[in-house]
Order: sequence, then C-alpha cells, then structure tokens
Amino acid sequence: MDATTSLADKLASKTASSNSLDSSSKSSSLGSKHGAENGILRDTPFAYLEGEEDQDQKNDVTYVCPYRGPVFGALTITNYRLYFRSLPLRDQEPPVVVDVPLGVIARVEKIGGATSRGENSYGIEIFCKDMRNLRFAHKQQNHSRRTVFEKLQANAFPLSYSGKLFAFAHAAAAQPPAAIAAVSAGWDGWAVYEPLAELRRLGVPNDMWRATKLNESYGICDSYPAVWAVPKAASDDFLRRVAQFRSRCRLPVLSWMNPRTQATITRCSQPLVGVSGKRNADDETYLSYIMEANAQSDKLTIMDARPSANAIANKAKGGGYESEDAYKNVEINFLDIHNIHVMRESLRKVKEACYPTTDDSKWQTAIDSTLWLKHIRCILAGAVRIVDKVETMSTSVVVHCSDGWDRTAQLTALSMLLLDPHYRTVRGFEVLIEKEWLSFGHKFQQRIGHGDNKHSDADRSPVFLQFIDSVWQVSQQFVNAFEFNEHFLITIADHLYSCRFGTFLCNTEAERVAEDLKHKTISLWTHINSSLDQYLNPLFPSFTHGPEPVLRPIASVRAVRLWKGLYCRWNPGLCAPQHGCQRTRELLSKQDQLFKHVNELRLKLNNRSNNMQTTTRLASPMH
Amino acid sequence: MATGSNDMPDHRKRNTFTSYVAPMAGDVRATADTNEWCLPSDLRDVHLAKPRLLAGEQIVASAPAYMYSPIAPMEGSSGSGNSSGSGTVTGIGNSNNGQSNNSNNSNGSNSMGRSRSSHKEATFGLLSVTNFKLAFVPLHGRATLSAPLASDLYQENAYLGRNEVTLNNIDQIYTIAEQGRAASALQAARMASTSSRRKKLEPAKQHNINGRIVALHIICKNFRLLKFAFQQQDSKLSGASDYGKLIASALARFAYPMRHDLSFAYAYREPYYSTLVGVSMYGSKNDWARELIRCGASEWQVISASAVPQLQNRLQAGKYQLPPHFVIPKCCEVERFLQLSFAFCDSRAAFWVYSYGSSAASLVRLAELQPASQQDTKMENIMLELVRKCDERKQLKLIQLTDQLPSIQDVQRAYQKLRRLCTPETPEKFMLQDDKYLGLLEKTNWLLYVSLCLRHASEAAATLRASITCVLQESNGRDLCCVISSLTQLLLDPHFRTIDGFQSLVQKEWVALEHPFQRRLGHVYVSTGEQAPDSEQSPVFLLYLDCVWQLLQQFPDEFEFSQTYLTTLWDACFMPIFDTFQFDSQAQRTRAVNEGRLVLRPVWDWGEQFSDKDKMFFSNPLYQRQRGDLVATQNHRRSLAVGGHKLLASAAGGGGVGPGAGAATGTASPSRYTINPQLFATQSSVPQDRYLQPAHRILDLSVWDQCYYRWLPVLDIRGGGQPQVDLFHRLLLSNIAKVQRCLELQNFEELPDAYYDALGEQRPSQQQQQQQEEPVEYVDGVERRRKSMPGTGAGTPGSSANGLNVVNGGPLQLSTLSSFFPFGNPIAGDAPHELYDILSNSSELLLDTSSILDKSSIV
Repeated sequence: MDATTSLADKLASKTASSNSLDSSSKSSSLGSKHGAENGILRDTPFAYLEGEEDQDQKNDVTYVCPYRGPVFGALTITNYRLYFRSLPLRDQEPPVVVDVPLGVIARVEKIGGATSRGENSYGIEIFCKDMRNLRFAHKQQNHSRRTVFEKLQANAFPLSYSGKLFAFAHAAAAQPPAAIAAVSAGWDGWAVYEPLAELRRLGVPNDMWRATKLNESYGICDSYPAVWAVPKAASDDFLRRVAQFRSRCRLPVLSWMNPRTQATITRCSQPLVGVSGKRNADDETYLSYIMEANAQSDKLTIMDARPSANAIANKAKGGGYESEDAYKNVEINFLDIHNIHVMRESLRKVKEACYPTTDDSKWQTAIDSTLWLKHIRCILAGAVRIVDKVETMSTSVVVHCSDGWDRTAQLTALSMLLLDPHYRTVRGFEVLIEKEWLSFGHKFQQRIGHGDNKHSDADRSPVFLQFIDSVWQVSQQFVNAFEFNEHFLITIADHLYSCRFGTFLCNTEAERVAEDLKHKTISLWTHINSSLDQYLNPLFPSFTHGPEPVLRPIASVRAVRLWKGLYCRWNPGLCAPQHGCQRTRELLSKQDQLFKHVNELRLKLNNRSNNMQTTTRLASPMH
Repeated sequence: MATGSNDMPDHRKRNTFTSYVAPMAGDVRATADTNEWCLPSDLRDVHLAKPRLLAGEQIVASAPAYMYSPIAPMEGSSGSGNSSGSGTVTGIGNSNNGQSNNSNNSNGSNSMGRSRSSHKEATFGLLSVTNFKLAFVPLHGRATLSAPLASDLYQENAYLGRNEVTLNNIDQIYTIAEQGRAASALQAARMASTSSRRKKLEPAKQHNINGRIVALHIICKNFRLLKFAFQQQDSKLSGASDYGKLIASALARFAYPMRHDLSFAYAYREPYYSTLVGVSMYGSKNDWARELIRCGASEWQVISASAVPQLQNRLQAGKYQLPPHFVIPKCCEVERFLQLSFAFCDSRAAFWVYSYGSSAASLVRLAELQPASQQDTKMENIMLELVRKCDERKQLKLIQLTDQLPSIQDVQRAYQKLRRLCTPETPEKFMLQDDKYLGLLEKTNWLLYVSLCLRHASEAAATLRASITCVLQESNGRDLCCVISSLTQLLLDPHFRTIDGFQSLVQKEWVALEHPFQRRLGHVYVSTGEQAPDSEQSPVFLLYLDCVWQLLQQFPDEFEFSQTYLTTLWDACFMPIFDTFQFDSQAQRTRAVNEGRLVLRPVWDWGEQFSDKDKMFFSNPLYQRQRGDLVATQNHRRSLAVGGHKLLASAAGGGGVGPGAGAATGTASPSRYTINPQLFATQSSVPQDRYLQPAHRILDLSVWDQCYYRWLPVLDIRGGGQPQVDLFHRLLLSNIAKVQRCLELQNFEELPDAYYDALGEQRPSQQQQQQQEEPVEYVDGVERRRKSMPGTGAGTPGSSANGLNVVNGGPLQLSTLSSFFPFGNPIAGDAPHELYDILSNSSELLLDTSSILDKSSIV
C-alpha cells in the first residue's frame, strides 16, 4: 500500500525477472549481495533450502561464460543445485553467479581429455532443459573434474542411480510448523484443487450430469482421476463398456460446463476404430448422451487435435477417429496440431536461435524457421474454435488426440482459460493445472524426465511448456485479463524441472497417490501462495470483467511473439529493459491514499454532525 | 467522359453536381433479377446518399458501388461483431488445413463460417470522387447499421468520414477488368484477386482503360486497402454504363496531380484563425534565438535570409537554396558562409540544430559536397574547422549517414514491401503471408532500417553526452539527417517528449530546415523523362514516426503523447488542407501563399480537425510530468486544470502566494515574443539526467500494429491490447482527480464509484438517508487487493479487488473496445458517456502541470 511496499515489490520483481529460482527466497538475494560487498567468498554464498546438503565444493573452477568470457571462481554442488560464483577481480564488477537446480540438467558431459592443450578445453559441459548450456573448465592436474562429474550425475539423475528426488528430502526436512501454518493460512497447495468442489462450481451434479467415484481405485482407467463427471444417462456398467473402445480406456469425461447454457467440453482419447473401421454401439450412444445433455444444440462437435493425415495413419495402429456416418449428428474437425516429436524438434531450434548468441540481422528468419510460433498459433486457433463452438453456438465439444493427454490437455485447458475468468486468477489457474494436466494424466515424468539420465528419450517433449507459452500469448493480448503476471508463469516453468516441489512429479494421479506426494512433498502452489504479491498483475482486475468474460485471442503469427522473457533470459543483452508496472503501482497507491484520506474526513464529518447536530463546516486539514 | 454532360437525362440535371451518374431506380430494377446481389429496393435513395462537401469541394464523379472489406466484414453490429470476427480467423485457419490435408471432414464449420460472413461482406452505397477525396456513402438499409452512438467513440475527423480517404492518401489503384462472363460484380471481384486482369493504374500515363472495370482496389499511403465492386448494367435506357471505368478515370486524373496548385489546398479558402500556443514554428529569427538560449549555445548566430543583401539580390538568390533562417558559427562571416555553402548540395553547409550539456556540445547538420567539387575536400575541411571552433573543447565527431543508413529509395522499397504485408486482398493471401510472416517481415528490411536509425541516433546522443560536437552528414542533409537529428534530440531532451516540444521539433528539423515533404509523400507526380515518376517518393517521415513509436514502447512513461497521436500524424500528412506537410521548402510555401492565395493552416492546431474528445486520445495516461518540464507557454492549459495545482499551492502554504512555478518558468524560458538579451549568457537549461538509452536491435523492436494493421479487422483483439491498459490508467487518474476535487471542495457527494467499491459500501443514492450508514471495513477494503482471493463463484472473480469495478450504475461495458482504438471498428454498448467522463477527468490531471503526481510526491 505504501511506498515501501511498492519499492519492495519492484526489487522483488527485478531480481525475479532474471531468474525466478534464486529470487524465490528473499534471503538468497540478500546473501549474495553481502558477499559481493565484502569481496570475500563465504562458505555459504546462498541460502540453503531445507534438506539441502553440500555434496562437493571446488575452489578452482573456471566458468566459460558465453557473454563475459572465462571467469574463475568456486563451484558448489548440493543435492539440489549447482552454484558457481566468480572471485571478484575488480571491485566494481558484480560477480558472475550461476545457480541452477540440478533438476534442470538434461545431460552432463566431459569435454577434453588428457591430451587437451588449449586453455579451458578440459572440463564439463552441462546441457539444461531451460534453454541454456553451461561449460566449466577444470585444471587437469588436480583431478577436480572427476568428483564434480560423479556428484553431478548422482544428484541430477537420482532415479538412474537409485536415489530419490530432492522434493522428498526437502519436505522431510521442512519444519512442521511451516506446513501447519500453510494449512491454517489457507494456502496449502495440495488443498487447492478439490474435484467435487470444482464440479459444484460448474453446476455438477445437475439434471444431466453426475459425479462418480467409479475410478476411485484407478481400476477402469489408470491414467484418469478418481472422480469423473459423466452424463447421468450413462450407468456405471455402461461406462466400463465405453472405456473398452477408447485408447487406454480414456473415455469421454467432463472438463468444463457453461453453467448458463450447459454446453460442455469433454475430453477423451481416440476411438479404437482401426483399419477395418470398427464400430461400438455403446460409444456412439455415449456421445449422443453428451450431446443430449445440452439442450441448446442438436449437434456435437468433435475436435481432433491432430492433423487429419495423422489421424488416418493412426488407424493402422488400431486407433483412428469417429466417422460422421457412424456417429449421428456429430461433426469432426481436425485442428492440425503436430505431435510431441515435432514440438521437441521445434523447441530445440528455438534454443539454437536464442542461445548462446543471436544473429540480429537473421533473427526473424531464424525464429520463423523454428516453426514454434506457427505451432503456438495452431494451438491458439484450436482453442478459439472450441470457444466459438461452446460460447457462440452453444454446442458441446469433445476433444481428443491420440491418447488424450498431450494436445488434448493443451486445448481443453486453454479453451477453459478463455471461457472462464475464474481460471485467470492465481487460484483458478492452479486448479486448472491440477485438473486438466495433473489429474487427467499428462505424463510429466516422461515428458520432462525428472531425475533420469536418458536425455534423448523420445517421450520427452515440451508440451506443457507450450501451454504456458500459449497462456503467456493470451496474457500479452489481454494484458489486464489475468490476475497473475509473467513472473508467475516463469516460476511455474522453472519449477516444472527443479524437482523441489512435488507438484509435477509422476505421470498420473494413481502414481501420485501411491507415492503419497501430498504428505511426502511440498506443493509448488504452497510456495507461490505464501508470497503471492510478486505474482500479481497490478493491471488486474479491471472493467473488462463485465458482461463478456470470454477472451478470443488472435491466432495469427502477426499477433503472437517469441517469449523472450523465458527463452532468451540467459543472454544478459537480450532481455529488453523491464519497465514493469511501476507507474501503475504508484497511481494505485495514490488512489488508495486518497480514499483513506477521504474516509477519515467523512468519518470525522459524520461524528461531528452526529454530536453537534449542526452542519459546521470543517476546516481543511488536508495533507 | 466524366464531365460530358450533354446527354445527361433530366433527373440527373436536377443535381448541382457537375457530373452525377447515379442510376434511376428503374434502371437497376430491370437488371436486378439477373444478379447474385440484388440491389436494395430503395435504390432511389442513392440520390440522397451524397457525400458531405467542404467549401470549394466539388464532385467529379459518382457511381453506385459495393464497398467490401478484404478479410473480415466491416460491420459494427452489436454482439455478433465479436464472434463473427474471430469466426473468420478460425475459418481461415481451417481452409488452410483443408488445403494441406485434403480433408473433407472439416467442411462443416468452414462453410458455416463463410456463409455467416458473406452476406456482410459488402455494403452498398454511393461512391464519389471529389477534388478532395474519395467518399463512399453507404445506403442505410436494413442491413447496414449507422450506429452513430458507437462511432462517437472513434476518432472522427472534421473533414473526413470513416469511409472516406483524401486523394492525397491514394497511392496505387488497381483496376480489375471483366473477365469472361462473370455472373456478377461480386463474383468477378472475387475472381479478380488472383487473375491477371488486375492492372495497376499508372500515374502520369495515358490511360487506355479497355474493357469493363468490375472492381477497384485502392491502396492508401496509410496502409488502408479499399475495395469496391461495381454492378454491371446493361440498361436499355442509357446503354451500357461502366461505373468502374467512370470512377477509375476520375481517380486517374485527380489522384495524381502533376502540379501542386491542382491540390484541394488551393480550393479550400476558408479563413484560419490560429488558436495555436506553445509550438515553436521556427518561422522567425526569435524562435531560433530562443532555442539557442535554451540550449546555452553561445558560439552560434542566427542568420535571416531577408537580412543578407546577397540573398535579396534577385540575380544571386537563385543560386542558393537556403531556408529563411539558419544558425551558423559565430566565428564565420555570412559572406564566407555563403561562399562555402556554394560547394555543398542544396547549399546545406553546417546548420546548427541543438546543443547539449554544460559545455554545449552541438548537433550540426551538413550536406555532402556537390558532385562537381567532391574531389576537393578543402571546403568541407574549412567548414568542419569552423564548427570545431564553436566547441568548447574543440572536439568534433562526423557521422556520415549516407554510407550507414538506407537511401530514400531503400526506405521506399521497404515501405512498399511492408505495406504489402499489411494489405492482403484475400483471406488466402493473409494466411499465406502469415505462414512465412517473420521471414517476409525480415525481407522488407523495415525494422532493420528502424534499428539502424535508432542505433545512429543513440551514437549521436552518446557523442553529445560526452561533450563532443556531432556533425551529421548526408547527401543533401534533408532526409535521414532529419530522422537522426530529431531522434537524437528526443533521446536527450525531455522537452521534446512533450506534445508541444515534439511539434516544435518537427517544425525545426523537418519543416523549417526543409525536408522535401511534397516529393517524399508524393503530393505531386512529376514525370521527368527516364526517371520513374515516384523515384523521389519515400516515407522518410514515417520511418521517423516508427522510431518514435519504438521509443514509446520502451519508455512508456517518458512521452506526453500516445501512439494514437503518432498514427494520426501520419494520417495528417495526407490532409492537403494543412500546409505543414505539403511543401518542399519555405520558398515554395511562400510562393503558394503569394501566387496561389493559399491559406496557411498548421496541422498542429488539432482542434481544426478533431473534437476535444479525440484530442484527449493524443495524451499518454502513463506520462509523468516533471517539475522541471514546466514551460511558460503551457500556462494556457493551466486554466483547464481545476483541482490539483491549487491544492498544491495551498498545501505549500500561504494560499495567496503566487504560484512558485510561474516564477520559475519565467527564468527557465522567456515568454514568446520578447527575448531578454541578458539571458544570452546563461547555461543550457536542458536537464541532463533524463536521457534515454534505447535498445535498438531488431529483436528489441516490434511492428507498429496500430498504424499498420488497423484496417485489418481480423487482427483486432476485441477487449484487448494497449487501449485497455490506457483506459485502466485513465480510470485511475480519473478517480484520483475526482477525489482530489472532493477534498478540495469538502464535498463528498461526487466520489468515484471505485471509492464505494473499495469500501464495500453502497453508493448513497439519497444523501440524507444514507448518512447514518456506517462506513465499514475500510482498512480491509484497502488491504483486499493483497488478501482477497476471488471466491469460488464463477463469472465474477475479484469483482471488488482494487476497487476498480464500477458497481453502481452497471459495470462499464467497454469489453468490446478494439485493440486499434480509437481506430478500427466501432464498438457496441452504451459506454461512451462514461468513457467521456473518464477521459475528461483523467486529462485534467494529465494536463495539470503542478506535478502533484510526479515521482517525488508519491515516493
């Protein structure tokens, strides 16, 4: 409210924009500052997290910085992070600090051998999942490389070395009072999403839909959540039969419902049509139930996220898509979004274009040829089409791709975000991720490869990152439609890899329950909700949230941009100067000051007129 | 043929127009059945749909026509506007998928989208060419919506309607000839976009228009694409009438004038009474002298051509191309200077434009040596030596722009490529461009040139900051010199970032020092033998405006003006009524006044074109006026500001004491008409801690969407973009202004809604009854922004947070505001009144120079 708060905000957001990971605890930025002032390398240059323990420390390592050249300093490896800090040579220059959670590391390689001659040619190269590579040079003679390499391998890839992810150690060491405080303050991240409460918010159960715990033991579908919302007309036995006709038993289940029109978004996997074009009467009836549950429309739209060629090709593998002949009153659309392999390759090219250096004169062509923005456009266009169907035509939509856990999640989550302003708040967005991504079994473990050294695993893909990017694109087009800011999204993207929190661990809800993540790890949302200020967008909420809460972003490459704040943030010269919302905060606090002032005056005025029953005018005690 | 009036039927002669060729109602009915598009049954109204004419304006040709939008429907209907707009986008995406995948399954929604938009694709009305503009007046039938209320919110020009463009603005005209047997005008027009029968109408050429013209594509210099289709008519009464040909030939003759005195500027003789205050026109010696004083440049002198005998001698004067006033080194005699200037292109030997810092390092513009004397650089060396002598530390840096910046031809090519990207004729073309968009954008080179300009301006600014005199040299010193020189001053001097300052800067660098606007903007088409007629045409000024826009993006609170102001400035280049951007030189302007009886009307008097409401969109709600910025000439504005500064004055104590600001400004900048010679010795009064250091790589830049894309409704983010942010800040300012007024008057009846909202209190409708109501949970109200999490109620998240939702009297329905606001399509809703309220209240605070809101008062 007052000036000091806004100043603190400013400071927080400033450090935050460079790297959300180390600003997450305020003490860490304080600690590093202290060290810089004294010019001494202290034993603990950063604030250790709970459960974080030193593994190795080397004082004679050179970090080969692509921007400032080689810098000499000390390298610390803990069970959570790699921390390098250069020895200050000149007083003015701030030290070079590299602070990387080990979870971010995709691959560690030795460079140079016994015969290497050139300077800094012997050492370690680290490839990160967050668009950067790090190179450290060691002196051959003192054999410091071997232990560093081994410690890195063991702690960055604990699952490949029969260890445990840091999230467990972190939570185990966390002081119980903190956890209790979180619960009592209402920001416990594990309690953010209550499936039944969220369904109630949407108006379920109602005349047409019911909630069921049929899958409570994950017996029908092991990648689906325990609680489903399904058409009332479908009995439990019937649902079991429908599941058999869908790839991996992922039958159509409710994602979102418009409480006003009852138009719904349901999600599923592809039908097991196969080359012969198999039909399944139950599946056909089930889709008609979904259609009939919406009285506003006598049609049902199926959005197949894939390019139609891919959908056809899937028939050979037993999958396929619903034929309009077999399914009555159904229309099928293909949204032309490519598969996880195409996306992985696209992001790899983005990294090539952004890191370590860029060629300004060829920048646009380089970004164009990554096709990343075109893929983003496709996802946005698909979501807008779903929004148009649900909102404008009041038609229910069924969304699927092949397995219904990658592109489907992108589309349902994004279209829900566009349709329902609740999901554009911090709490709502957390619910959205918990629901559409985590509970419906987006395979985070596989797609990210937490703690596992198979860096070229074909199952890895930036599907979730692409969703976060799409959300950012929408937030750029509708600057004041979101309660959270860019820093919030970057924080989520960072902790997607960090393994500090339990949120993005495991593949399915079933696995998470088996691992008891709720009790053995801390939720990312707990962390975010406990210091909400730095994640809030001062431009929200505004008068846009009046009668028309539906967003329709422009799906054109002309209107989407490369998210430099995320992909290019390691290049110190590449981040455009952050002007932030300084002026907005000033105006807001000025307004609040004045409101406060007026209120005091009015109170006085009221008291006086009550006491004296006269209308004496006040002298002017302003300012 | 347009003027041949011998065989005009009687009913047409009734009109006062020189040549009016609207059809009789009967004419059309006879053929209506055979066409895909039936003309409205009330076609006789075409006679009534005449465009509004200015004094001296005459209609040259008129014809019924269909105006249609390239991609999304041009419609302003409420509600559905939003959905059909984006429906088209997705429709496009879909058709693209269809192509690549050959899928026939996706046709369902595709055809739906198309059918929804097709009936709104075009509007029927009367298309007229006058000696001033091309005007389309829609017939207000059932389908067309006039929506005067909604359009009230959009920029309205006093001289031009929404469907009108000045002839000056027209750059290229394509005629689409009849091909085969097109069943209808619409069909032909659709076919035409891909066919080879699309032909460019070349200016300054003999026009043999063969065949019937079914459609016209008109590309404007301000990135607008206008498309018209014409009904084919085989009338038994009047024979075949080719409306397309009629309009095309009228445009060919009037849109490409060969002489400037054919411009409408000379026909429009309405007197002009200046209300202009605060802009330095640099039309007098005093203006230059004042600038010298302001910058503390004591080593330089102003020369007026009228005081130099040589330049008054008729035989001699022709040899020089000097502006009426210019500033040269004090150490250089006028005769010596004239001698030297002879060696330089356009007589442009070192002109002073600006000085910076305590040592008054100067910014100097210089042309290159005449081609004849280029071997001998002696003259140049002498000139540079004279400039060096003016520098306190005798240091000088020469920046040769010719080698490092694009030529004017390069700029023109870049502009044309960029414009092609912004004016796709069909949805298919749009998608095709979209697929390779960034690559195509790079090939235009436009952003590269913007980047180069910013880089060199930064270099020049850094030179001046290092107290080194900087000389900008360019072939004639009148094109990119203007860009770099103006940008350098914008980077260094906050005064030029105010509206008045910016306008003064344009006057100084572009008008007074004679950027050849007439040739560069293509106001006159001269065919000089071999040369292409438009080789002199180049939007150098737009390049400058784009650079300024980039600065505005990087420093959103440093500029008093908004992007709307910059966009409007580009539009204003094509308003012949205003002389500012009409001439190549001052001499030409003087001649036009003397010989052509031209009425001079500076474009800076925005009230001539726009209402107060539209002028408010020119100001940037994020701008922070600083105490030091106060300039005496802004005194007139202070009368507008009611609340703030008085409050400050009384808060400062004493109440009756004359405003301290007035005294301060008295010394800072002298009043307009007198120069106190004692001030000549003073130091620079330019603050030296407020320079800007912009990022200038291509990847730091973006495309100026408001200016370039505003005519493409598909790219209009309804309820999004910058306008929403600006509105948010304006609402904040408006709230602050209202509360301040309440405090000042000690009357709390007109508190802003946000106040009650923050309190969680009902706005008292009857003051007496609500008096007893206790203002509750106030502290909580303030803290709510931090604490309150929007509940689980759908639809109204955070409705009370920040206290910015207008609760009583219904929420503001501004959600359909265009992202190109105040351009783009009209919006729906009844918000204008409330918007106007916000605008006027926030402007009050923005114009308030008492700096109640500057940084120091808040922190």
